Amino acid sequence: MNELELRLAELGRGLELPAEPNVAPRVLERLERRRPFPWRPLAVAFAVLAVAIGTAFAVPPARSAILRFFHLGGERVVRVESLPPAVERSRSEGLGDPLTRDEAERRVGFELVLPSASRRVYVLGDSLASVVVRAYGRTVLLSEFPAQGQFLEKLVAGRTDVQHLRVDGQPALWIEGAPHVLQYFDRRRGFREEPILIRGNVLLWVRGPLTLRIEGRLTRAQAVALARDIG
Amino acid sequence: MVDRPLDETELVELARRGDLAAWETIVRAYQGIAFRTAYLFCGSAADAEEAAQDGFVKAYRALGRFRRGSPLKPWLLRIVANEARNRRRAAGRREALALRAAGEARPGDAVPSPEADLLAGESRRRLLEAVERLSDEHRDAIACRYFLELSEDETAAALGIRRGTVKSRVARALERLRAELGEREP
Repeated sequence: MNELELRLAELGRGLELPAEPNVAPRVLERLERRRPFPWRPLAVAFAVLAVAIGTAFAVPPARSAILRFFHLGGERVVRVESLPPAVERSRSEGLGDPLTRDEAERRVGFELVLPSASRRVYVLGDSLASVVVRAYGRTVLLSEFPAQGQFLEKLVAGRTDVQHLRVDGQPALWIEGAPHVLQYFDRRRGFREEPILIRGNVLLWVRGPLTLRIEGRLTRAQAVALARDIG
Repeated sequence: MVDRPLDETELVELARRGDLAAWETIVRAYQGIAFRTAYLFCGSAADAEEAAQDGFVKAYRALGRFRRGSPLKPWLLRIVANEARNRRRAAGRREALALRAAGEARPGDAVPSPEADLLAGESRRRLLEAVERLSDEHRDAIACRYFLELSEDETAAALGIRRGTVKSRVARALERLRAELGEREP
């Protein structure tokens, strides 16, 4: 750069520019309002929309606008303006029936990949298997369910952050921040009882035909390390 | 075993398939430079915000036409810059740029004497006035290269012209500035 060019660059750094606005929320709102082109066959788009509307209206107070949603395996994460009321549960309650590993595998119809040291496997409905373990000094819930179809729906709002990651080269989501709400569907797509309020962070990742999930008060690094151990 | 945020190519692919969360990550990464570009082109904060917003909406809808593997930033800036120039044309005028008030030094700046500060301030003001008197074509090229610190390729993409045209446009703009300021070529 010659002297004049250096002065111009210096001039640029000294310009009075207005504060940079955050345009992301408005951009997403506009895109969500009018999708440009269905990227899947129309029938699928209609089905997804029907489920989205059905979900919001099945829980009356969740009638706030659905801002956007995305899928990972058998779970769908929906960002809404405000969360519906939800019951709190301890991690060892409301998880379903406590079964032996063999009984659990028969019920869900797939081979479990959760740590086999766990004596009890909780099965909810006909597809969600969970074990409770201790990791990093915390109680953590590990769950697995088929990646095909939709079995869990998570509603997030406000300060909850959803990040895309990869675990073992597979797509993953890390959900962190304010409490969020979880709802379970069985294979017949029935809604299960009341929505549950989750206060911990959640890592979701896909492993072959299954979606795996870690829920607990772990950091992202701890959750990913635990996911690696599970394999 | 990988634990990392998705890179830009992966985010673009997800966004192409309709993943708005992926597009949000891209918008957040580029909204600063998009707004600054729009502001330098149209000179109004409100218009620049609208131009940046419209640009990101249009870019998302045009993702099918984005060439895989190309850098995203110049492509985005071109869309935003077009939006900003349309607004400038519609308004028929553009607010002049201003310098930060004296004394608002950036961290790490040496503290000059009051006299040196005054002279430097006067020199910057004259230079800015000379830039403002350039034609839109020349001024935009100067803004991209020196105020936004874009490369020649990025400037070419943002302005929708060839790299060779950027070079000649910038060279002519510099000549005019020297003539305005009564300075000789180096």
